[in-house]
Amino acid sequence: MSSAILWAPLAFGLVGLFLPSRAVGWWATLGAVVTLGLAIAAVLGFDSGSSALQYAVDEPWISGLGVDYSLGVDGLNLFLILLTAVLWVGGVAFAAFREQERPKTFYFLMLVAETATLGSFLAQDLLLFVLFFDLMLVPFYFLFGAWGHDRTAEGGLTASAATLKMIVYTLIGSLLMLVAAIATAIIAADGGHLTFSIAALQEQGLSHGSQQWIFWFFAAAFLVKMPAFLLHGWMPDAYRAAPLPALAVFSGVLAKVGAYGFLRVVLPLFPDATVEFQEVILLIALASILYGSVMAFTQTNVRLIAGYSSVAQLGFITAGIFALRADGSDGAVLQMVNHGLVVAPTFVIVALLLERTGTEDIREMGGLALRAPVLAALFLIVALATLAMPGSANFVGEFYILNGLFQAKIVFAFVAISGVAMSAYYALRLYQGTMHNRQPEGLLSREIGVRDALVLVPLVLCIVSLALYPQLILERTAPTVAQTVAKVGGGEAPEAQLADRKAHDWEATLAKR
Amino acid sequence: MSVSFWAWLVLLFPLLGSIVIGLGFRALPQKVAGAIGTISIGLAFACGVAALLSLLGDAPEARHHASSLWDYASVAGLDVKLGIFVDPLSVFMVLVVTGVSTLIHLYSYGYMQSDAGYHRFFSYLNFFVFSMLLLVLAGNFVLLIVGWAFVGFASYALISFWYRRETATRAGMKAFVINVVGDIGLVLAAFLIFRELGSFDYGTVFERAPEAFTTNQWSVTAICLLLLLGAFAKSAQLPLHTWLPDAMEGPTPVSSLIHAATMVTAGVYLIARTHILFELAPTAADIAAFTGLATLLVAATMALVMTDLKRAIAYSTMSQIGYMIMGVSIGAYSAGMFHLMTHAFFKALLFMAAGSIIAAMANDQNIDRMSGFGKAMRFTSITFVCGALALAAFPGTSGFFSKDEILAFAEARGGMYLIFTVLGYVGALMTAVYSFRLVFRVLPGRPCAEAQELIDTGHVAHEVPRNPATGEPEDTDVGFPGPEHHIAEQSLPMRVAMGTLAFLALAGGLVQVPGVDDVVTKFLDPVFAGSALARIHPSLGEDYAGLGIGGLIALAGIGIAYLLYVKEPGRPRQLERRLRPLHTLFADKWYFDEAIDFLVVRPALAIGRFASRVFERFVVDGLVSGTEGTVRGAGGVVRAVQNGFVRSYALLLIAGFAGLALYFLLSSS
Repeated sequence: MSSAILWAPLAFGLVGLFLPSRAVGWWATLGAVVTLGLAIAAVLGFDSGSSALQYAVDEPWISGLGVDYSLGVDGLNLFLILLTAVLWVGGVAFAAFREQERPKTFYFLMLVAETATLGSFLAQDLLLFVLFFDLMLVPFYFLFGAWGHDRTAEGGLTASAATLKMIVYTLIGSLLMLVAAIATAIIAADGGHLTFSIAALQEQGLSHGSQQWIFWFFAAAFLVKMPAFLLHGWMPDAYRAAPLPALAVFSGVLAKVGAYGFLRVVLPLFPDATVEFQEVILLIALASILYGSVMAFTQTNVRLIAGYSSVAQLGFITAGIFALRADGSDGAVLQMVNHGLVVAPTFVIVALLLERTGTEDIREMGGLALRAPVLAALFLIVALATLAMPGSANFVGEFYILNGLFQAKIVFAFVAISGVAMSAYYALRLYQGTMHNRQPEGLLSREIGVRDALVLVPLVLCIVSLALYPQLILERTAPTVAQTVAKVGGGEAPEAQLADRKAHDWEATLAKR
Repeated sequence: MSVSFWAWLVLLFPLLGSIVIGLGFRALPQKVAGAIGTISIGLAFACGVAALLSLLGDAPEARHHASSLWDYASVAGLDVKLGIFVDPLSVFMVLVVTGVSTLIHLYSYGYMQSDAGYHRFFSYLNFFVFSMLLLVLAGNFVLLIVGWAFVGFASYALISFWYRRETATRAGMKAFVINVVGDIGLVLAAFLIFRELGSFDYGTVFERAPEAFTTNQWSVTAICLLLLLGAFAKSAQLPLHTWLPDAMEGPTPVSSLIHAATMVTAGVYLIARTHILFELAPTAADIAAFTGLATLLVAATMALVMTDLKRAIAYSTMSQIGYMIMGVSIGAYSAGMFHLMTHAFFKALLFMAAGSIIAAMANDQNIDRMSGFGKAMRFTSITFVCGALALAAFPGTSGFFSKDEILAFAEARGGMYLIFTVLGYVGALMTAVYSFRLVFRVLPGRPCAEAQELIDTGHVAHEVPRNPATGEPEDTDVGFPGPEHHIAEQSLPMRVAMGTLAFLALAGGLVQVPGVDDVVTKFLDPVFAGSALARIHPSLGEDYAGLGIGGLIALAGIGIAYLLYVKEPGRPRQLERRLRPLHTLFADKWYFDEAIDFLVVRPALAIGRFASRVFERFVVDGLVSGTEGTVRGAGGVVRAVQNGFVRSYALLLIAGFAGLALYFLLSSS
């Protein structure tokens, strides 16, 4: 099962190279849909009460080096895999409805990217993880560089320069991570049998001193990927350069790989360092929340409003993980899915707005809702979910995250929650600035077409259904998360114990009466 | 059928109505959409009545029911179910909300007829009612927050309903953001409750609270203060009230809905709902009471000088909510809820009448331009006077009994609480003056041009409608009401709604006349059974003394208004000049907007600008250039072999693996 999910996109991509250019878009969509079907099957067959690895595959690959081809699904990655599959269907289908230059290469790269992303979620071997993590970058490098937009007219960079900047950043992170992975295995082996299996490494354990520096090597890679505050320098230029279908999946999924890496690799392998540096990472997360929000306030390019809001959202997710409590991390996993589900449609909408207005500047838009009420309604739902409106699954995610943070580090929670108020402002500003207010002279607006609705409506329906039943994700996530967090001493949430105790006391008092 | 069954139906109908109208905005004819909207709220009211009857069948101490549909988000020790809690308090709120909302829908059915956004309007309106019902029926703090925020969103959507009007979108944004600040207060309160009591569920929380907290313990005080942040934002209490007057940008039925049946009463409900916590934190309760008092006085001064008809009524709402907040905070729970009910009647009515007048004035809301509508719009005028009488607490009207009950309770509680009685009466005097100031300015006198036209031709024909705030011509595309906008005299549904409310405004207080009957108090009694404060009752003598004073004050206030605005019309201007600084202070709304702008908005935007212009360019990008430089510098090798970064990376990757292999070879040998 795991292997089928992993390789299906690549297989379709390879076959697509030999098809006529006109058909390749639909073929790629079919590939993404098939992958989605497999992912749904995986969710349906998933044993929700278990924290163990399911659909596990474990074959020796480079046996001399202890590298295994080891895949598996558990509560941490189940819904991220589904998210990846969902968003790729949206992204590929959205592209297929439009003319693409060099379609064969474009769709091939898109599908390679999907396999790489799924690989980094599925991998249970540290080196395999690093490999897929780095492989993810390659197709996007070409997609952004060759199909992207030059922004020299606006004082920005050319597409290739922007991509280069992104590569420089992530490359450094990746190299550090590669070194760190190798070091982890070697130090853990301590002259014995070398293995990269995450489960085995976890049992072997690392000395406190080694954990301290290896932790930061991994953290750097993940924080750049998200991106976190001060490491986000690549984001504005890359986001402006990227072709929108690719950007939708990129910002929807790739950023989550960073956050996921913390849960999959850092917490289990470097528990001591995690506890030690908890507050430092929390500070970075808070800075991301505040800085991302404040920047999203003032940006005028709609892509960048969404981009900086992602910085803030990933800040929340990181903060949830580093609350080091079960509720915080449960919320973080839920929020990764939620955020993917809102940011991808946002970029689809940005693409539609660009087609209608010819601009990405929020000041030059306005009043579009009149001729496009359906598009406006869809955008409104997405915007409300983005600002974590209570009643949306995003709110539940944020509520869990903040509750975890509140119970663990109350001061951080008070600062973080100010980001919630700011998100209300920037998300509504994005909606109002495009859909409401006066329509500038000469601006055309028209309703969303049926084909684009086929992409956008299902995504919005996902948001709505999750809003009604976030428990769907939470209950499947919770067992694995509880196990992961227990490694760093989070264990059962102290409040749950407190609740039990108080309930017990209460019953005792009642009995006495 | 059980109580909770009916309660679920109460929630279902408005939601269904909203969805059906929303999805069918192209397919449904306008009349059908309006009918669906109105009938679904009517059905909710009917189910509310059924719930009431079913609830009365239980023994008084068993009148609370919890019911849940499914686990909403319950892992890691948090217990959040999609659950409701039905007791006399929530049923009371359900009846007030659905009852008044049905009439408001009926009014809108006529009022909005020429509006192009008719479907959108009814969809939002139903959603608004659904949100408010969710708020009052929620069975745990998380669902309460959901309802709370939905109300905030619905108000945003309706305030910025005419979304091409920039004043409207700005007002909507303001309402939404201030409401989010309130939501945050509730969220933090919920976290703290969970930390101390280990649950979000009402039943569990209220059961454990008396055991867990000692009086005025810091944690319970903090919880209450955070709850108050939410309550103040939603109920427009100082200093979070600035969104309320701006909310007048929405169509008039929206003002009616926000001010009467829904939204602003939420804070009052919240305090009554969590009264167990507030009684454990008397300091917080006193803070709430004093805030209510300050709000009622400050708002009354602003209502005295506003020249905008709707805004003057808006400030009167703020002031009346101040009475309610004060009431439920000092322990006059049933009196506060009673005032909430009567206020819903007369305030909805006042807005409807004002809407009818404003429609005749082509959306000009300036009372300086209005006069003589008494002759031009007889029905509207009569109902307007009914509403004003009740607001001024004219003896015998609904407001007379309910307002007095709060003040008499404060007097009976004695001690420091006498302040509330005394200053409450000062507020009552101002209330009577400002409500009849509106009556005397708008209704009598020589008809203004619009009123004259109405008398002469029986209809009004305006030129291009203009935005009263900016004076620019309105964009009629989004359905800004055209000239043939409806006035009550020409629309039967509007007249039915206003007539019913006029009756209720006059006679609604008779359900609770001291010494005669006490329907509301008796019905709500089981909710407050555990409360010591709820056992305080003013004696019959105190009650009647209070009624006497209140009645005299109302008459005096109306008399003053008569003297100032009818007898000596030049006098107000004279007073205005003599009390220039005071008048400016009131007319400029005590400078709250300016203060918030200066303290919060400007700094936030300044930081944002600094971040994007300076920090981003020099620090963040500096970091990039630095790294790029390093990489380029160190990449002498790279450039030498003329390869791109990807290739060099592959090289490095291979080198890494090679190193690893080398290590493996060395260590195994």
